[in-house]
Amino acid sequence: MSQDPNVLIGEMIAAGNERISVARDEVNRPMIHHLCDAMEETNPIYLDPEAARAAGHPDVVAPPSALQVWNMINPSDPVIESDVDRAYAHLADCGYPKVVAVNCDQEYDRYLVPGDLLTASEKVESFVGPKQTGLGEGYFITTLTTYTDQQGERVGTMRFRTLWYNPEKRNS
Amino acid sequence: MSTVDTAARTGIAAGTQLPELRIPITATLIVTGAIATRDFQKVHHDKDVAQAAGTPNVFMNILTTNALVNRYVGEWAGPAARVGRINIRLGATNFPGDEMVFTGTVDSVDGQNVVVKVVGTNSLGPHVTGTVDLVIPSKGESA
Repeated sequence: MSQDPNVLIGEMIAAGNERISVARDEVNRPMIHHLCDAMEETNPIYLDPEAARAAGHPDVVAPPSALQVWNMINPSDPVIESDVDRAYAHLADCGYPKVVAVNCDQEYDRYLVPGDLLTASEKVESFVGPKQTGLGEGYFITTLTTYTDQQGERVGTMRFRTLWYNPEKRNS
Repeated sequence: MSTVDTAARTGIAAGTQLPELRIPITATLIVTGAIATRDFQKVHHDKDVAQAAGTPNVFMNILTTNALVNRYVGEWAGPAARVGRINIRLGATNFPGDEMVFTGTVDSVDGQNVVVKVVGTNSLGPHVTGTVDLVIPSKGESA
């Protein structure tokens, strides 16, 4: 329980191994419609090719915040263990079993259009702790996912930070 | 003549307030948002599973939160705007029956580059706090 997670996770950050996943489907109009319907999104650049072209886009575009959507794990896919999963499991093993998402930082190089096929490459980027938080003692871990298109060009990145904590190790 | 001239783009300056947007948090929004963003984790669509996991109900996933921040700022900025970055901090969970109220303020303006600060607050506190980086072209120009 008193194992220091900095050792193994530090090695993972130094190694920089990425989990690489290719989207099952291209960016496509039906899914853009689903997204807009669910969110009550009415921006015409997502829905009307003429309005999108008038705004300087080649076609309708996907909402930029949907960057992560195209490479989400399909429910029927086999689980492929990556360093990110191993780092999370290791934090639980070290006595920090509870998790809460803290930050999500997405940067977009360009808007995505139907036909784009994304590859996501995810790795552990940084790690901080132990820290006393309102939830208990814990560690912050940040993953970096880089999204590239069918030409290998980067289209965006996402940094995702979670806190792994032990609610029993709590000051107050 | 462009059909997507951004309306009233003059006068944006640091401190400019965005109009408030109130979003009812319904089970429908949470479930359709999760599935539309291809997030099949059961805590976002199955109340029994969510309760077994220790929460009172299904709750909103992060991809939906991101999409709603995108929508809020996009409705204000208009179709000619380009979003370059959405950087959010997550807080109080969005459960069905609640309401999230978005407010926003222009944090900085540098030429066409505009940074907006956004807060979405529900009855438990701030659900999301963040910044959105935009390029908002002057009338008649493209971003």
